[in-house]
Amino acid sequence: MDDNQMISEKKSFLDGRRFIILIIAALIISFILLLISLSLYNFSGAAQLDLSRPGYVEVRNKTVDSSSDFKNYPNYGAIDQAAIDEFKTLYDEQAQVIKVADAFKNDPLNPIELTTSPSPDTSF
Amino acid sequence: MKVAARLFVIVIFMAVVISGSMFIKVKAESNGLTLQQIEQVRSNCVSIKNTINQLHVSDALLRVNMGQRYELVSTKLMDRFNGRIISNNLKADGLISASEKYKNNLNEFRDSYKIYEESLSSAMRMDCQSQPSELYDVLMIVRDNRSRVYGNVKLLVKQIDQYRSEVDRFETTFKAGQGQL
Repeated sequence: MDDNQMISEKKSFLDGRRFIILIIAALIISFILLLISLSLYNFSGAAQLDLSRPGYVEVRNKTVDSSSDFKNYPNYGAIDQAAIDEFKTLYDEQAQVIKVADAFKNDPLNPIELTTSPSPDTSF
Repeated sequence: MKVAARLFVIVIFMAVVISGSMFIKVKAESNGLTLQQIEQVRSNCVSIKNTINQLHVSDALLRVNMGQRYELVSTKLMDRFNGRIISNNLKADGLISASEKYKNNLNEFRDSYKIYEESLSSAMRMDCQSQPSELYDVLMIVRDNRSRVYGNVKLLVKQIDQYRSEVDRFETTFKAGQGQL
């Protein structure tokens, strides 16, 4: 009799709060997933490429979609002198762009420049 | 009970001595800026903050634009040329090796930039009025991290040239009719 009473009490406890428990469980699971996704966002390096973050408004529209001016070299077909020459032309073109840019060459954090110059050049 | 009390006092004493010596060590490892230099950092506080803020934004743009191009050189040119040579049953060992080195360095470039950006962000959060010496220390670390990023970029350029030399070597072999397996 006591056991039956306990079971019925347990059932009534769950029945009355089932919806609340469901919401709390959903919130906990979503919070855990949020933490996982945020840590992936930070540790994968995606955060460094995300210009939609606050503070990047002025440069957001300055991104260049390199793939649009980047001609694909066909990965099928025979290899002959014309195919090699075509590759060399495409490759040299891109190599030249990279060499001219010489990204991150400047040293704006040079202590002398940093403490004496009012507005050091931060362009590359 | 007395033994326990003595032990407690000894432990506290040792903790104070050890933490004190660590504090002294940290001070000794500091950049050793003179008062004049510290004052210079304070007086140029606004300018320094502007510089690092501008640098944070301009380098992010540079990372996106140039990083994309470095990636495309690998995926749209090197990999495709290697694949085409292999599908024609020709030897591409030198080219494959050169493109693998390029890819490895590209991964290192990504990691270096991540470390650099995180250190720069921590510098941005610091107050140059109340922590001028600490900010200077962090900025020197940031500078070092940025030079590592540039080191990776220089190596990428070098590897682009190496791959190009391998293309020339392949062409010479191909012309001589020795490229066939």
